[in-house]
Amino acid sequence: MKQLYYEVKKCLGCKSCEIACAIAHSLTGELFKALKEEALSLPRKKVSSSGDKNYPVSCRHCKDPKCVEACMAAALVYDKEKGMVLHDESRCVGCWMCVMVCPYSAIRPNIKTKIPIRCDKCKDKDEPSCVKACPTGAIIWQEEVEVIK
Amino acid sequence: MKQFVIIGNSAAGIAAVEAIRQKDKASKIMVVSDEDYPSYCRCVISYYLAGEVKEDKILYRPESFYKENNIELLLNKKVIRVDPKKNRIICEDKSQFSYDALLIATGASPKFPENIQGIKKRGVFGFRTIKDAKDIEGLLPVTKTVCILGGGLIGLKAGYALKKRNVEVKVVIKSKQVLSQMLDFEGASLVQQRLEANGIEIILGQDVTEVIGNGDIKAVKLDSGKVLASSLVVVGKGVEPNIGLVKDTEIKINEGIIANNLLQTNIPNIYTAGDVCEGFDLTLGKLSINALWPIAVEQGKIAGQNMAGDNINYDGSLGMNSLEFFGLPVISLGIYKVKDEGASFEEVKVCDTKAGLYKRLIIKNNILVGAILVGDIKNSGIFLRLIRERINLSPFKERLLHENFGYPDIMDFVKDKEKIYV
Repeated sequence: MKQLYYEVKKCLGCKSCEIACAIAHSLTGELFKALKEEALSLPRKKVSSSGDKNYPVSCRHCKDPKCVEACMAAALVYDKEKGMVLHDESRCVGCWMCVMVCPYSAIRPNIKTKIPIRCDKCKDKDEPSCVKACPTGAIIWQEEVEVIK
Repeated sequence: MKQFVIIGNSAAGIAAVEAIRQKDKASKIMVVSDEDYPSYCRCVISYYLAGEVKEDKILYRPESFYKENNIELLLNKKVIRVDPKKNRIICEDKSQFSYDALLIATGASPKFPENIQGIKKRGVFGFRTIKDAKDIEGLLPVTKTVCILGGGLIGLKAGYALKKRNVEVKVVIKSKQVLSQMLDFEGASLVQQRLEANGIEIILGQDVTEVIGNGDIKAVKLDSGKVLASSLVVVGKGVEPNIGLVKDTEIKINEGIIANNLLQTNIPNIYTAGDVCEGFDLTLGKLSINALWPIAVEQGKIAGQNMAGDNINYDGSLGMNSLEFFGLPVISLGIYKVKDEGASFEEVKVCDTKAGLYKRLIIKNNILVGAILVGDIKNSGIFLRLIRERINLSPFKERLLHENFGYPDIMDFVKDKEKIYV
């Protein structure tokens, strides 16, 4: 299954990925209309800097996901086939337990909608919107590589 | 083929069942519960009472779960005794079951302080089970005012729910602040303000001495002598672990059932997890009970794996909690109050009362040992990781509460390295 990787030296920290992500997850899917939506669509990816490098941070869809364990409303499940943590918004109560335990702080609360926001790999599209939006090709969408420990 | 018996059908019990079934599809698993409801989201009962979650969303696993996983579920059955010598459990109805490995995940029960006169009266409720929520809900048409005893998480969640149902809510708290088991005074004040701004009355520094009324409850009496009219009382005075079934057995107990780093009791084929389990606490450095859903799941999973033959070490739990009232998110991790001021604690603090923002990190010997985040809970997962992995903060200490602090700052220092940044 495909995963997101980042070639950090190419990342300029321009945040095009953040904007593309917010638009992709808005109701209208268009920038200027999205800005007028009642609950502003927030990016599921945030670029953080450390030293002189920039790192886009979003949900890793961990195989042993802490957020799923912590979810007291059974709104989160790990789907092995899809290799993704799936979120059932209809069950979510906005308790933020998932935010509390995410080892990457890659889940953020949307206080207004009471729903945590996290990367869903743009599940309805061929590739995540951030990949297309990155002007330098720093975001790579490819089959998972074996992690060498 | 083995026989696994799990006492308790909530977070820890279900996590254990799932862990056992991952490894062992054939053995017999029996789950015994003294409730009459299949596994449900216990922490969601306040949202149910508030009317925000309907009953069909409260089940923790689909009803088909037990059949699909080949589990014998015994509801409405209270285990009154564990007999480690004969490897069997004895129930209130005299039925007995034997086991090869046993998990005690009996949870905890609300405390009803006996020094409060009339605490056993009809109309006084704990707030722990779906039954409690339904019983309280049944009285809503005739309830104008509720009095909540205790300003902890349970009491406040019940208060929040009842306020949402247009009941007048008065919370009587013995200490000088709300949430004294998870927040310092400053953080608690912000929560209190938010509750009060939304119409919940908070009465601090007073205790209830008597519940007044014959038949129906009429009022509660405070130690100041004042009387508050109230027809319903919810008690949120903490919980006590359900250890009755192991008292006077060779299973070691303190406040809860004592667990080692494999979540085993002193009897090798008996395990314990969840709110009844007293295990190692990472921030306190000693045994403690951390009664919290995510910890119950974590412990239940490891206990289940070990029951099925693994040898997985549990490095310990720590006190943590997350909650939200009227749009104010709050997270507390590890040590939240510094008792011994002299002992080399450092702190980093951001406070903007007007914006409803308060953050405080407690540091000892360059290791994060606690965090309080009110109003903005960003990076709480990272703070939890810093606490758990005891990461030396020196390289990024001055950035901890900085706007742009994030995972990249700590990634070179964490235990499990990933390879997504190339």
